[in-house]
Amino acid sequence: MSEEKKNHSKEDFEPKIVGFLCNWCSYAGADLAGTSRIQYPPNVRIIRVMCSGSVDSMYILRALLEGADGVFVGGCHPGDCHYIDGNYKARRRMVLLENILGTLGLEKERVWLRWISASEGQKFADTMKEMTEKIRKLGPNPIAKHWNL
Amino acid sequence: MTQKALKIKENDVVGSINDFLRQLLSSGKIQALLVPQSTPSKKVVYPVLIADPKKLHSDIIAPVLPVATATVVSKLTKVQPPSKPIGVVMRACQIRALVELVKLNQASLSNIIIIGVDCPGTFPINVYADFPEKKTPTHFLLETLLKKTKDADQYLRSACHVCKDPIPTNVDIVLGFYGIDLDKELIVEAHSEIGRELIKDIPLEEITDDKAREKAIKDQREMKDKQRAVFLKDKEGMKGIEKIAEFFDKCVNCHNCRQACPICYCKECLFDSAVFDAEAYKFIRRAENKGLFKLPSDALLFQLGRMNHMILSCVQCGLCEQACPNMIPLMEVFIPAAENAQKEFAYHPGKDKAEKIPMIVYREDEFLEVGEK
Repeated sequence: MSEEKKNHSKEDFEPKIVGFLCNWCSYAGADLAGTSRIQYPPNVRIIRVMCSGSVDSMYILRALLEGADGVFVGGCHPGDCHYIDGNYKARRRMVLLENILGTLGLEKERVWLRWISASEGQKFADTMKEMTEKIRKLGPNPIAKHWNL
Repeated sequence: MTQKALKIKENDVVGSINDFLRQLLSSGKIQALLVPQSTPSKKVVYPVLIADPKKLHSDIIAPVLPVATATVVSKLTKVQPPSKPIGVVMRACQIRALVELVKLNQASLSNIIIIGVDCPGTFPINVYADFPEKKTPTHFLLETLLKKTKDADQYLRSACHVCKDPIPTNVDIVLGFYGIDLDKELIVEAHSEIGRELIKDIPLEEITDDKAREKAIKDQREMKDKQRAVFLKDKEGMKGIEKIAEFFDKCVNCHNCRQACPICYCKECLFDSAVFDAEAYKFIRRAENKGLFKLPSDALLFQLGRMNHMILSCVQCGLCEQACPNMIPLMEVFIPAAENAQKEFAYHPGKDKAEKIPMIVYREDEFLEVGEK
């Protein structure tokens, strides 16, 4: 994406979303969306992780500070974690991160946690559509223009 | 709880406390005492482990906290706790930090007798070392305690100014300044069985007015709460990337704050690891991403990352701020963040040893809206 295009009005701005998907559910869900040929916006850059519980808030913060417009974390539904309780821990961690971002007045709306199972290809595609549109409305991440961080 | 009074001899508060501590140490019931004691230059007061009662010349009132006493106790007990009791003299914030370190398996309270001291607050280490008044900082502070003036407030570290709780809890023995005429007596409280056993044979007086202490503690806590509310209200505007980026502009990535923090215990911090080493082309790519790239990089990531990792256990001692070479007033961001985060999880760091750190436990039926929106 060229610099000029990036600075256009909100409507034709293409959000960059970093997605951390758990190996056992959400990544398989994304895979199913692909193999089922379900269309969804190409704005998300997927990083496969072993568990949503392995996503340290550092990963999310780094993506945001480097200028990602949104960060998505996908995990198994509560109770379905391959490692028993990783997603419960991810949930607490997300609550903490959102709380801190709220205190500092940084946009917590850019960080999403969703439960998507391996059979929910449609839900993955729908969630990506929803998130891309919400972030598009929010506009580019204001942190992106700060180079002195 | 047993409450007694220690007679102040010849108007010498520091000397009388030292007599008490010497008797404690010579009783043979404890094998050593960790007390704040002045260096020969009198410039600063360090926690000193004293085995010989004759060498004990502590200054537990000295308003300075050069290092986290909790970290020192962690060092003393982490590999193997002592086989016989040792006493540690600590301020309230450091006892809270020690409780957190115990929960994090970084310290042991086995054979550790905690002697808490009422804390009127501490001055920044450099103010203490080159104190502008004619008296020594200890005498200056004592005088304000005796006359109940607020003269010392101007020198207090900002963290002490808005201290969460200056009265020690989770202790065996308390040495109290509040609720008593400090020119005559000092309060000695035993909060545990072992505490009672230790002060049993030391000559102490009965307390005449046992309600005075309770009231004085309440007043002190209320006063700090008020100052705290004003501080928090004042810092509400610290929001948004513009302000946060400006706030941390002076951060040079030295990591001194992490070093001073009693909670930051990781042997290898992520920020010292090879994660941030990369080939030149990756730095150039990052420069191309925003058009330019500041080095050293990731100062804000360090601050926010560290905050995410320790804020739930933050006891608000303010040592991070004291350690900052560029005098970033870190408490302005860390106190509001700690307050909000700890409230979210209804967690009270340092209050109760049995209370689990929020990030190691969970409930299935909590935060149900998160992940489902």
